[in-house]
Amino acid sequence: MKGLFENKKRRTEDSLNAALKQKQYDEDAYFERAEYDPFAGEKAGYSDYSYWRSTFKSFLHNKVALIMLVVLAVLVLFTVIQPLLPGQYDALTINNDPVTGIQLQNQAPSSTTVYMTVPAGTELLGARVKGDEGWYAVSNIIGAVKKPTKKPSTFTVLEYGEDWCKIEYEGVTGYIMNNFQTSIQKIPEDPYAVPYECYSNKAPKIFNAPVNISNSGNSLYAEAQYLRETEDGTVVTTAETELRNIPSSQPFLFGTNNIGQDLWALVWQGTRTSLWIGFVVALFEALIGIIIGVLWGYVRALDRLITEIYNVIDNIPTTIILILISYIMRPSISTLIFAMSLTRWLGMARFVRNQIIIIRDRDYNLASRCLGTEPSRIMLRNLLPYLVSVIMLRMALAIPGAIGSEVFITYIGLGLDVNTPSLGNLINEGRKLVTSPSLRYQLIFPAIVLSVITISFYVIGNAFADAADPKNHL
Amino acid sequence: MLKYIAKRLLSSLLTLFIIIVVVFVLLRQMPIEGYFDNFDKLDAKQVDAKLTQLGLKDPIYKQLWSFFKNLFNGDLGLSSRYSKDTPITTLIANKAPLSIYMGLMSLAISLALGIPLGAAMARSKSGFWDKFGTVFIVFINAVPAAVYYIFIQMYGTDAMRIPMTFSRDNWLTWILPVVSMSLGSIASNAMWLRRYMLDEMNKDYVRLARAKGVSSRKLMMKHIFRNAFVPMIQYIPASILYTVSGSIYIESLYGIPGMGGLLVDVIGRQDNPMVQALVMIYSSIGIIGLLLGDLLMAVLDPRISFVKKDGAR
Repeated sequence: MKGLFENKKRRTEDSLNAALKQKQYDEDAYFERAEYDPFAGEKAGYSDYSYWRSTFKSFLHNKVALIMLVVLAVLVLFTVIQPLLPGQYDALTINNDPVTGIQLQNQAPSSTTVYMTVPAGTELLGARVKGDEGWYAVSNIIGAVKKPTKKPSTFTVLEYGEDWCKIEYEGVTGYIMNNFQTSIQKIPEDPYAVPYECYSNKAPKIFNAPVNISNSGNSLYAEAQYLRETEDGTVVTTAETELRNIPSSQPFLFGTNNIGQDLWALVWQGTRTSLWIGFVVALFEALIGIIIGVLWGYVRALDRLITEIYNVIDNIPTTIILILISYIMRPSISTLIFAMSLTRWLGMARFVRNQIIIIRDRDYNLASRCLGTEPSRIMLRNLLPYLVSVIMLRMALAIPGAIGSEVFITYIGLGLDVNTPSLGNLINEGRKLVTSPSLRYQLIFPAIVLSVITISFYVIGNAFADAADPKNHL
Repeated sequence: MLKYIAKRLLSSLLTLFIIIVVVFVLLRQMPIEGYFDNFDKLDAKQVDAKLTQLGLKDPIYKQLWSFFKNLFNGDLGLSSRYSKDTPITTLIANKAPLSIYMGLMSLAISLALGIPLGAAMARSKSGFWDKFGTVFIVFINAVPAAVYYIFIQMYGTDAMRIPMTFSRDNWLTWILPVVSMSLGSIASNAMWLRRYMLDEMNKDYVRLARAKGVSSRKLMMKHIFRNAFVPMIQYIPASILYTVSGSIYIESLYGIPGMGGLLVDVIGRQDNPMVQALVMIYSSIGIIGLLLGDLLMAVLDPRISFVKKDGAR
């Protein structure tokens, strides 16, 4: 056993000696003497690493966050420029029917509002024309029907329905309402055995299609410039005319709400309000959080005091503070901002404090202090740059947080009133209508815009925090 | 250990006292209409008389003293508008049980679903479950709760063909409120468990166990999960206590006669004594919950009472 070991030892020594010998003799063959190169000398101290470029690079790797960033940028940009676009309604204006003065409430969202196009020379019943401007209500009854007379008029029923009958009258084919405006006389025993002749005491008003009178009304709107009043008082079209559901060529893209305000304009106005609240809260959070956090972490004398204050405030549930402040103060944007800022700085301050305690006593800071640098300069130049990424993250997350709190406060009845549209009160107004499915669009549109904004900020914030963490840099 | 518990208990009591004082003083600034059930009909003299009778004209320390005296006798005052001259404690005793039932149910669901989800996410890092869970967590965290609660109510009741409002006898109407209530905690349970488990996985003892040849399943269950679950236990007492407060959103959405809906109601009717009582209850619950959590942790994890120094949590 021992011999084996000795043998191994000797062999190792031999091979080492051989290698040494070879090295001595062959050194010139393996190495080349370098010439002095001043440029290469300069190169030695240079590193290609840049914090922000690496952050940016690794952020670009996150495709989802990148898409969200683009979506969010477009959305925010659009929110800002929306009122400057042509043909926008004002958010708070209540849109009325120009003829009847009734609010255009709960108009369903529609991309086009053209109900039908009628040719020139069509007689429009129910229209009154006083001038060449604006829009006039007409019924969606096609012309060619003479003015109602006392004489019974005879027509042929082509189709019989409970609500609507299709008839032919003096060469015009169309629909009349069954037993409403026109009472059909002399209906045979089997009314479905068409065709047959009937008569009515009045000349029938013929619609060109069955319409839901109760819902959209039988009022359509035509632009005054295409209408002309004849001598006998009827109104005819002078050119091919579009009959619209609303008295405007501007459709309500998202419909109108229950008092006739344009939901499209309201949503963007509300987005502006909510984003504004979000940005201001984020700014306050950063400002208060950083100042208190730096003092807390850096000034040892204040540590105990701020810790106690922190513990007290942190122990009260955030929602309770929000509710309390909003209840005591009157609802307004500044109340909301104040109430949210009162609690949101806590997280930021604690984080800043913890980071500062970690880096405050590192050698370069000690050196700085020994050289007589003022504390304010140490804080601003030595400490804060370390915290930039996390401050940005918390600010990005503050925006969806603030928007969410605003929705909450509005929901429990302490938020902004409806004259200051915000996503919160739009959703709250929409929520009251969920029982009728045809009005749910008033909840869905603001909810979608809100979700897109909050999700984007959340995803971007997190992706940025990952990217800004030097551990994830290549 | 005992010293730690005593210290923690004392500081909690102190905090509780400070909070009650602060909230009390803040609530003195409330709009005074909230003390009357017929404010509009009264003239200045009557208002003055009533305020004096309620003791609101006394100096603040006197009011505070009588408030504490009543508090120790279990008296939180009388409701002014919500239910005239009924003791607030009676009102709360009627409302709280339902909130507690629902809260406990949703707590059970959130643990039963959130913990497996978190564990599955940690196990399949960047696999299907991780991606699914991440999307879920991002959605729940980013979208304000009010929005998805309303949508769940709107389409859920349509799909189940049940009325939108809650009724105690129809068990079908319990499902949606309880499930929506648990969504947020499912997400946060899953998120934290995943994070803690990933932290544990990178530790040396796991590497050692793996090198020894411990099976991956056993490693997950016996080593990683157990250690990762400890920090989560801290929040369970608080969660149980919070069931008393109920969910403000859910209860008022579904018309559940519980504590959460009560807060919205009394705010709407500006019933100051009720707002004061509820706000104090809610904030005390928070403190007691955290205290119990810390004590539980101290029992479970002996390192804490030795290592933990004063400072921010």
